[in-house]
Amino acid sequence: MTRLALLLSVIAAAAAIGLAQPSSAAAGWCWPSCSGYGMLGPGTSTANGCWYYSEVCGGWGYWYLNGVMKTCYPGCDPYNGTNGKILYGFENRDRIRGNFTSYYGKRYVQPGELGMGGYLRAQVTWWAGTTSQINVAVAG
Amino acid sequence: MTGRMKFTLAVAALLVAAAVGTVLATRTHASERAPLSRISNEGHRVAVERSSVWGSFGLRSASLLAVRGARAVYRLESKGGPCVGAGPAQEPGNFGTVDCPRGPFPTSQRPVLDLSVYEGTSHDSHDVSLYRAEGVAADGVVSIAFLRPNGTVALKVPVSANVYEAGATPSGPVAGLVAFDASGKELWRSP
Repeated sequence: MTRLALLLSVIAAAAAIGLAQPSSAAAGWCWPSCSGYGMLGPGTSTANGCWYYSEVCGGWGYWYLNGVMKTCYPGCDPYNGTNGKILYGFENRDRIRGNFTSYYGKRYVQPGELGMGGYLRAQVTWWAGTTSQINVAVAG
Repeated sequence: MTGRMKFTLAVAALLVAAAVGTVLATRTHASERAPLSRISNEGHRVAVERSSVWGSFGLRSASLLAVRGARAVYRLESKGGPCVGAGPAQEPGNFGTVDCPRGPFPTSQRPVLDLSVYEGTSHDSHDVSLYRAEGVAADGVVSIAFLRPNGTVALKVPVSANVYEAGATPSGPVAGLVAFDASGKELWRSP
């Protein structure tokens, strides 16, 4: 429910400010789905030419927002830190940019915040440590 | 004074000493930890427009912690708890990035929430450089150092009013960050 709410809130938010017709889930991209978590670890790939090998990325588009929810899997310390580090953000043909986190929580980032714009792919990359359990919801 | 009275007084003195010692130890421990569990800068309230993208995410309130150059850093309250955010300074209340950790922040185990942007330009290497340094730190943190993969310091940024920011960053790989207190003691290192 939380994951679905994440995408719906992304879409609703984008709709609220009148961006490119995200009136249905088809206007966004989710991984692994819009209602479930997936495991992002060494070797995880969406097999669609992402920047790195251990990465999930959406298709090319004029994306507006990348939202990532990371759980405690496989376990959190008392301060909700995990051993799995991810990079989340956007990429184009020249570079990949994003923020790092290894903590349980929810994050959102817009391409402009990363100094990027135009035709992009939203991405989340396994960077180090254990596999992370995540849900990704992107609006365009 | 009888032997029994002496014994009773000695036991009482011992108990008092133990109690005082416990209180002092606890207070010292707590006072050492407190600066790393606190953000004293309450900032200035800014409006979160109900129609904006962030209003739709359940953000209830936002406080501008600091403006550094072209950047603004915020402390946010959401339905799910506290968050931090940042965005362009010329557009107050426009959060380009929001991080909502589940659980306490800051703590002695996590006194820094780094919002820095990292960049990779090689498909083959996991080396990343720093595009922008930015984040929120607890009261006890006075500087943040970004480290090269070999452990040397690539960039050191002061923390003021719980915020650090550097738009001008050095080229080359960066592999983590370290938080220091006023004496230069390392307080925390990024995972």
